[in-house]
Amino acid sequence: MMKLGNLIIAGIITGSIYATFAVCVAVWYRVSNILNLAVGDFAMVGALGVDNLYRVKGLPLPVAIITTLAVVAVFAYLYDLVVLRIAQDRRQMEGIVVTFFFTFALSFFIDGVAKMLFGTDVHAAPGLWNGNSLTLGSLHFERAGILVLACAVIIGGAFWVYIRYTLGGKALEASGENVVGARIVGIDTRRYRLWIFIGTAVIAAIFGIVESPITGFTYLSGATISLTGFIAAAYGGFRKPGRALLAGLFIGVLEALLGGYVSAEYGDTVLYAILATLILAWPRGLGFESAVSG
Amino acid sequence: MSEFLTAPAPAPSLAGRASSRVTALTARVPRGLTPTVVVVVAGALIVLIYGQQYTGSVFVLAACYAIVTAGMAVQIGFSQQIAFSQSVFMGVGAYGVALLNTNFNMPVLVATPIVIVGSALAALILGSVVTRASGLALAVATLMLPLIAVGYVSGSGYLGGAVGAPLTGTLWPSQSSTAAQLVGGGLMVVAMLALVVFIAARILASDIGLELFVLGVDERTAAALGVRTPRRKLELFVLGCVFAALGGAAYAGTQQFVPETIVDPTAELALLIMLFIGGRRSVIGAVIGALIIQYLQGASNWVSVNILVVEGVLLTVILLVDPEGLAGIVTTGMKWVSGRLRLGGAGRPGGAGPADEVHPAVSSVPSAVAGAGAGDPVAAGAVANSPFDTVPVTPDPVSAATAGLSGATGVTGASGGGTPLLEVRAVSKEYGGLSVLQDVTLALPERGLFALCGPNGAGKTTLLNVIGGSVPPSHGQVLLNGTDITRQPPHQRFYQGISRTFQAVHLINGRTVLDNVAVSCLSSTTSSIITRVGRSRLEDARRKAARALADLGMADLANREVSSLTLETQRMVELARALAPGPRLLLLDEPASGLSEDQRQRLAVLLTSLAERTCVLLVEHDLALVAQVSERIFVLSGGLLVFDGGPADFRSSPVVNSLLVGS
Repeated sequence: MMKLGNLIIAGIITGSIYATFAVCVAVWYRVSNILNLAVGDFAMVGALGVDNLYRVKGLPLPVAIITTLAVVAVFAYLYDLVVLRIAQDRRQMEGIVVTFFFTFALSFFIDGVAKMLFGTDVHAAPGLWNGNSLTLGSLHFERAGILVLACAVIIGGAFWVYIRYTLGGKALEASGENVVGARIVGIDTRRYRLWIFIGTAVIAAIFGIVESPITGFTYLSGATISLTGFIAAAYGGFRKPGRALLAGLFIGVLEALLGGYVSAEYGDTVLYAILATLILAWPRGLGFESAVSG
Repeated sequence: MSEFLTAPAPAPSLAGRASSRVTALTARVPRGLTPTVVVVVAGALIVLIYGQQYTGSVFVLAACYAIVTAGMAVQIGFSQQIAFSQSVFMGVGAYGVALLNTNFNMPVLVATPIVIVGSALAALILGSVVTRASGLALAVATLMLPLIAVGYVSGSGYLGGAVGAPLTGTLWPSQSSTAAQLVGGGLMVVAMLALVVFIAARILASDIGLELFVLGVDERTAAALGVRTPRRKLELFVLGCVFAALGGAAYAGTQQFVPETIVDPTAELALLIMLFIGGRRSVIGAVIGALIIQYLQGASNWVSVNILVVEGVLLTVILLVDPEGLAGIVTTGMKWVSGRLRLGGAGRPGGAGPADEVHPAVSSVPSAVAGAGAGDPVAAGAVANSPFDTVPVTPDPVSAATAGLSGATGVTGASGGGTPLLEVRAVSKEYGGLSVLQDVTLALPERGLFALCGPNGAGKTTLLNVIGGSVPPSHGQVLLNGTDITRQPPHQRFYQGISRTFQAVHLINGRTVLDNVAVSCLSSTTSSIITRVGRSRLEDARRKAARALADLGMADLANREVSSLTLETQRMVELARALAPGPRLLLLDEPASGLSEDQRQRLAVLLTSLAERTCVLLVEHDLALVAQVSERIFVLSGGLLVFDGGPADFRSSPVVNSLLVGS
């Protein structure tokens, strides 16, 4: 029972990592119809950037964090300005495949720059809430894990409320559904795409800072994170941040349970096999068709 | 009719000219030979000159990857079936050869064909499961494959785990010298690459290449035009996997070592980068992409250290300039240069100037009617050579013509006696709780023009989709000539003689008018991708298409790219595409929408002539047009059939007036 409880806790924490990136992928896909494969790389930049400025360059922690986030925001802004403006104008013709590869190239670029700046070793940002893990009976809660879970719930919940209940959220949704239609009724679709892109990049960076004490990051960690976020977003129907959040948590718990009870070695293999079977058996239920056509 | 019969028919000569022009263009060089020769000559030269140096070893490694990317160009680029299975099957090929070599001491050259056959079988089994998915579902489901594979390989002892698997043998089994091993192995890889490029290029240039192009643009349109989409998707998957396994075998045989990273998701990403930099739809582009990336990685200077930055920037810049990659940039450049050269010379740049397009149907109507009504030899030939010519009951166009419009009405009257062509029996369709069609029953005879009207949301297009097969009914049956076709997929119904157009124009942009029409003339009921390496039926299909275009007086448009045409012309091309195979039942979804009054009148004349040889079911909002051309009109409202009668009753019916005229 204790094992089960601790496995579920560990699963929820891993799951909230997946969930947060899934939410970022889903929200930006909803506004721009582009799947962002670089979201994990922004997290990596957040973690390694803060580590570099704080530990190597000796800046105070708050300065290091703010500087890193500012750099991420400016970079995201410039990328939108230079690349996405041109790419998006062409998107209507080229469809999802080509635009997908722009963020793919972006991911390679960020990883390469990170390798130049931060080297190839495993690093992490300093823990923000240090101390022994909290215990409740025989259950253990890592402090960083609690922060991660809190971040995931706040971010996912905030986006869910924003899209469901606010006018800005509706405008965001309209931008993704029909760019021309949204522009005709006076929605600046480019501005929504820009702000959500910068927003999700900064959120990913913050999340990387919070999360990195748990897993540690190298310059190549971004792709793996993006991939799990992408998969969790897929099971949330790609466009739905609320469902993406739940899917991320579900995958995390399933992964922990498979690792704990089935096989530590082949747990992930079984997990991915289950996920693949789910898609093939139930594509409509998972929202794949609406994700493509909508 | 008589003035139409005596009207001069320019059609046959134009059709002949169009098709002979096409034949002349393609007859010069055999399909797929140019890229293959380029690969053989350039590859052999590089191996012979640099084979024993570092440059040569980088080239051979690049050629191994190029074998994989050439398959990806067909599967992912050209047909847009995004499946992330290549790195896994590269691993299957490489590990398979390594295992057979080290455990059974089998020479690499013997092990390779065994592994390829094994991979093909594995891909067939795996593919028959995963290719049921489409689009993003296919992409995400196959994304799991590298993740599963890397977990499995790193945990397995017999594959060497994270360390990798060594080989004792080499691709070129020379005991005497390493020089012979290097050069011989390099030449073997070049030969494999040439074979793969030859197969891929010949498939893309064949009739099935055209099918795959349509499949890539829109799977539903492809199915409605007779493309057997489930089979093509499976064939593509197997082709991609087999090429990848061959690349893996070449890799193992030349590198003499299989690292775990070969099945890694990042290996899949690297392959995709190669494909997109080179040009996703071009086989030779994919090969060049692999060469460029491998050379950059092997450069051992600033570039290879920071390869990620270089690849990221390179891919972004190339995609911004041209989404078709380097191949697209080169093609555009060559077109520009040749356009310059031609302007400097005498001739006009295109086949037909824009002025020729304006009213494609003006001159055509007489010839179209003449062709249809009088049993013009060209039209009759088109019907006889159609994919449906195995169907025994194809109506004879000559007798249809002599029967005339009144004769067709007579057939309607007699339909109670024989089996109707189409029967819709008590069809209902529900989406969730919403009932779109309720208990609709109707029957149509062999010939004549019938209209389906109703307010928006009445279920007209849904009924057309149920008949065409793209939407399965919740209840009820659809019968064609007395045979139940309710469970048949759209492509099978197409071969039974059901052809259709769409409410929104569904043409294939990036292809000529001729190719767009040729899609419906491919008649590939039994063909498979691999038989097309031998013989293509594309020219046959194009000839039929040229005839169908000529029948509608549109022969001059044959070589125009469809996105450059006006809406009316696009609708006419779509109509030509639906007519070209000589259908028994023609489903037209709002063919007049967006057309001017003049254009509608030309359409009316054309439709009337069509109705003399085939059964046309028309969904239309233009009540005047409907009443003018139809012999019988069905009105749907809220999914119920509320009216069924002739044009006279239609005009006077209070139900129709309250529903459609709004008085």
